[in-house]
Amino acid sequence: MTNRAISRLGTLFALLFLILAGRQTWVMLVAGPSIAAKPYNPRHALLDARRGRILASDGTVLAQTVDGVREYPLGPSLAQTVGYVSTRYGESGIEDAYDRALTPPDTTGDPLAQLDEIVAALRGKRSDAAGADVVTTIVPAIQRTLYTELARHARAAGVALDPRTGAVLAIASVPSFDPNAFDREFPKLQSDPQSPLIDRATDGLYPPGSTFKIFTAGSALESGTVTMHTRFQDPGYVRIGNFTLHDNEGEATGNQDITGAFALSSNVDFAHITLAMGTATFYAYLAKWGIGAPLDFQLPAASGRFPPQDSIVPGELAQMGFGQGALLMSPLQMALIAATVANGGTMPRPYIVRQIVRGGVPASVTPTGSLASPISADTAADVKKMMLAVVQRGTGTAAQIPGVAVAGKTGTATNPHGAAHAWFVCFAPADHPRVVVAVVVENAGYGGTVAAPIARDVLRTALSVVKD
Amino acid sequence: MDAVVRYGRRLLPMVLALAVSALLLAYAPAKSLGAPWLLGLLGALALAWVAWQPATTERDNLLPALAVVLSALGLTLVARLSPDLARKQMLWLVVSLVLAIAAGPFFTHFRRFAATKYLWVVASLVLFALLLIFGQQVNGARLWIKLGPVQYEPVELIKLFIVFFLAAYLAETADVIAAARPWSVRANLKYLGPLFIGWGASMAILVLQRDLGMAALLLSTFAALLYVATRRLDIVIAGIAVFALAAFWAMHHFPYVQTRVAVWTDPFSDPLGAGYQSSQAYYALAAGGAFGTGFGLGHPTFIPDVATDYIYAAFSEEFGLIGAFVLIGLFAVLVKRLLAVGSDQPDLYAKLLGAGLAATLGFQVFIIIGGVIGLFPLTGITLPFLSYGGSSLVANFLLVALMWAMSARVCVPTRSPSSSSR
Repeated sequence: MTNRAISRLGTLFALLFLILAGRQTWVMLVAGPSIAAKPYNPRHALLDARRGRILASDGTVLAQTVDGVREYPLGPSLAQTVGYVSTRYGESGIEDAYDRALTPPDTTGDPLAQLDEIVAALRGKRSDAAGADVVTTIVPAIQRTLYTELARHARAAGVALDPRTGAVLAIASVPSFDPNAFDREFPKLQSDPQSPLIDRATDGLYPPGSTFKIFTAGSALESGTVTMHTRFQDPGYVRIGNFTLHDNEGEATGNQDITGAFALSSNVDFAHITLAMGTATFYAYLAKWGIGAPLDFQLPAASGRFPPQDSIVPGELAQMGFGQGALLMSPLQMALIAATVANGGTMPRPYIVRQIVRGGVPASVTPTGSLASPISADTAADVKKMMLAVVQRGTGTAAQIPGVAVAGKTGTATNPHGAAHAWFVCFAPADHPRVVVAVVVENAGYGGTVAAPIARDVLRTALSVVKD
Repeated sequence: MDAVVRYGRRLLPMVLALAVSALLLAYAPAKSLGAPWLLGLLGALALAWVAWQPATTERDNLLPALAVVLSALGLTLVARLSPDLARKQMLWLVVSLVLAIAAGPFFTHFRRFAATKYLWVVASLVLFALLLIFGQQVNGARLWIKLGPVQYEPVELIKLFIVFFLAAYLAETADVIAAARPWSVRANLKYLGPLFIGWGASMAILVLQRDLGMAALLLSTFAALLYVATRRLDIVIAGIAVFALAAFWAMHHFPYVQTRVAVWTDPFSDPLGAGYQSSQAYYALAAGGAFGTGFGLGHPTFIPDVATDYIYAAFSEEFGLIGAFVLIGLFAVLVKRLLAVGSDQPDLYAKLLGAGLAATLGFQVFIIIGGVIGLFPLTGITLPFLSYGGSSLVANFLLVALMWAMSARVCVPTRSPSSSSR
């Protein structure tokens, strides 16, 4: 009797151990691949020793692995863009977006390759299969200027593009962090109220302020709402229903044509222009410029945000016309709007990774392209004239560079978080633009006094490096 | 001559086990095992253990051999994961083997344990009391007594004592309990009462210690013993139901149990916080695949406490599903042979003692492996012989030593023709 019970106990154990075997088979073979692919699996980052490098356009190393440690020679300057690769905290930036290229070929399921690795390991060597190098469009000299200038402020972001190709020449976000000390610093960085991990240049959404008048002026001219000769009267305020708008950057600008209104940044005049366009036309042009649609970029990038068309009242529409209200834009997208003007009405597709080089041989080259053509070349030329006037005689004189025709637009974006955000968006030289720069400094005051000098310095460095 | 052959046959399993152990340990990283003479001492002790057995009886010599192979595998794994712990583990192995050898003469008279059955209860309570007073709290559970440099986890010994008590008590009362009708409260309470005191006290204190793994282990051992003794499934089911309720209660009252359950249901929802250890174990298992990464080629050291609670995940990563099957198979063979030792006993007490010890080892393997591979929430108990941990090694070596002594069958030595001529 007892022995039968013991033998049943034996059967129970056989059953329990079979359940273990079954569950383990499921975990290791069936669920295994999807578990292994989870982003926080530190094994992704372990192939590090042979992980490819990330390079600037001139071959300067932005990220490389030395003795099993990932090094970022530029440190905080490009931290959010290049990103990090951490066994504990996953990956970000280019390290994340191009992880597949950077990671050495996976030999799982390839017995011959595995054998090769084991033989190599036994000889104390790594097998030759290394990850590809990712070559970016970053120009270190421009990057250095941009980051140094921005880092004088608490929170700021900027981007420099080549309007002809969409190549990102420099991009920076402040405050930043040191990716070389990432694992140690992460808990602090993550809880930092200044959000140093966020790339403000691509993901920071700000009211664009008067820089958005580039869009409004271009769209109003293109749609025929106004002409270059239309005149406006600005007493310093405008009543829309029971709502009063005031100029904030300039004073009351009096009687002006559109160039004057633009150069002196009259909110009142642009409120009139926007109201004249009407909600439907304004929204049609938002779509034409690709604002609000997902931004086609190699890294995650936020697109402009604004309220749905059917909820708009005239007061809000008027504010959106000069970049206030509920409208939000990223520095990258503002740079693209300026690039559209610089590029004769065609918005280039932005890119930062130029090519992937595998084993010294270029494996894939990013083709240049365009995202949209919202305005004609003639309209673009008109807007460019207005932007030249801003720097020559308007709110952006601080961006003047002797001997170079700089076209730009200031922005002073009021916001609920304190002082206005200072914006400046510009390109040069005006006749054959080679560089576009967009800069925002959070809660710093006037765009013309805070942001324009930064953009000017970046422009000056860039023009000396980027040739025709 | 015959005597030599017979003696050789007795030593053969251990000799083979030592050969396999040497092969395994050869893969341990260089210098991780400390002085070579210590390994030699371990081998000599293992050999001495089986060599010193009465000539007139025949024992199941596979039992010590399996214990040695499994602990050699454990030592190899610990050495690969943490050389520091490996050196301590070697000392603990020395202690375990010395204790197993020293306890040998007592274990041959294991039937005397029945006479002192309440002594085991008292001993358990004393150990618990010590734990309550001097215990160190680790990861929310109070499990350790620290004596100078030595940490000891008394529950590992208590698990043996409880089996000693239950086997002796049930051997006396089994018939009556079995005969009592389930609905007769008086008949049941009369004999089950003392059992529940012994069991319930351990349970209660375990819940106080917050060591749910050991509580589950003791409960399943208790249920198995009760079933073997009385074949009363109703009591067994009632006992399990009570435990389930207790566990449910614990889940709502101990935040750390709550966390463990949450981690079990979805380890990947908080992969950097509470779910870190569990998700790292899953990554290790996933990396293993069918054939494993190969010894030393995986990355199991991402798992916190890998040498204790999660050594099975480390093993699975590097030896793969195939290796895991072999290991589960080895444990299955060990449990089966232990159960067989129980069945082969002539009297009920010894049968219960054997079955109880076999069950406690079997359930311990099931509970920790099941926890590691996510069959149920992880409870921090050791994988017998493999995990780092002195208390577990000592207790499990003693368990095997006792069962090995119990496996003795009297054999009549065949006499050589020359001696039988007279």
